Amino acid sequence: MIEWISKQVILYWDILRYLLPAVPWTILITICSFALALILGMIIGIMRISRISWVARLAGMYINVIRGVPLLVQIFFIYFGLGGILNLDRFTAGVLAVGICYSAYLAEIFRSGIEAISVGQHEAAQSLGMTRFQTLRYVIIPQSMRIVLPPTANEFIASLKDSSLVSIIGMRELTRAGREYYSQYFVDFQTWFIVGLIYLAMTLTLSKVVKYLEKVYSVKGFGSQKA
Amino acid sequence: MIIEIKNLVCRFGDVAAVDDVSLMVDKGEVVVIIGPSGSGKSTLLRCLNALQDFDSGEIVVDDILVEKNHRHIHDLRLEVGMVFQQFNLFPHLSVINNIVLAQKVVRKRSKEEAVAKGKKLLGMVGLTEKAEAFPAQLSGGQQQRVAIARALAMDPKIMLFDEVTSALDPEMIGEVLEVMKRLAAGGMTMLVVTHEIGFAREVADRVVFMDNGRVIETGPPSVVIDNPREKRTQEFLSKVL
Repeated sequence: MIEWISKQVILYWDILRYLLPAVPWTILITICSFALALILGMIIGIMRISRISWVARLAGMYINVIRGVPLLVQIFFIYFGLGGILNLDRFTAGVLAVGICYSAYLAEIFRSGIEAISVGQHEAAQSLGMTRFQTLRYVIIPQSMRIVLPPTANEFIASLKDSSLVSIIGMRELTRAGREYYSQYFVDFQTWFIVGLIYLAMTLTLSKVVKYLEKVYSVKGFGSQKA
Repeated sequence: MIIEIKNLVCRFGDVAAVDDVSLMVDKGEVVVIIGPSGSGKSTLLRCLNALQDFDSGEIVVDDILVEKNHRHIHDLRLEVGMVFQQFNLFPHLSVINNIVLAQKVVRKRSKEEAVAKGKKLLGMVGLTEKAEAFPAQLSGGQQQRVAIARALAMDPKIMLFDEVTSALDPEMIGEVLEVMKRLAAGGMTMLVVTHEIGFAREVADRVVFMDNGRVIETGPPSVVIDNPREKRTQEFLSKVL
């Protein structure tokens, strides 16, 4: 019994040591692709509410197309389809695919956050002579931040998990490392248990960070503001 | 004439919210617009700073033509300050920053200059000690006084007041009207939509009674409020007085 336990402990430790060096890649892919998603999502989200109708429609099409195609297919398309033409490496293709995919979801979150602010705020800003852009920048978007922070954070956590899909094009991140270990030593239960545990550790840590950010972004008495 | 409105028509679908209204306002004049709900008072006011598009007619504010395509909308809104029924303070900014923001980004004033101006105006509306508070920490009457200070910080030549006391608890109405009275006494050109007949009688140079989008009667308060000639004005006043 004791022998079995000590063997297991050594095995788990061995797996963990094998997997940990791949974790920074998972984090890097997630951060890079989410940064891209934030920038693209903000642009597309603002385009979505543009008064110029073709701009709004273009953004709407982008959102519908990207959301309507599985991420796995987008990864294949960008790496094998576009990658062949543009000579993309695995990392770039993976980051592009995850980033573009999540930008569509974020665009909808940002749009709804902007639209959640009352018309009166727009009118007050405009009556003070602010342009539409200034109104968004100084009045509307800062107020939307608190509304969009929780769903955006959820998307960030989801994108961390979805970064595992990038393993399919041979990008060596956490899931890929798990597959490598498994195919060398054929210990399935322990390998995927540890992989799952590492993902869980990361997502739970992020949840804590989000809770903290929500506190930082709350403004005195703001919550009780009547609409 | 600082405001010239000629044959203004503004429709919402089939309904003419403002129906062929003409109105001239002199510099320094205080015009109070009264009338039942839905009579087009607020819509008329909102046309003046292009928050509302109109269908036909002409508006000239301080020599700026208010146009549908809003070519001069920026210049126009610099001249016209507006205070709203729902205050519409920016909830994410402190009181002083509410007043400073547009001064900085629109009037391009330095922070020091904008803050100094803001503090002076807060003093004028009696809220010096609330500079660092947030809007949600203030009473309705205090919020509305901040909103007035915010509009004044842009140095407008005209102030529009759109039912600014309608959302207030009764005990707070007085403090807001008091600020408006001082403003009127200081020579500000003011267009005031209100249900406060007492305020109209005391402060207005001219009272305009509107009903169904039309101007029914206009004249000094001693006539329109105390001795109205039109039957509809009499009916309305008998209900509210």
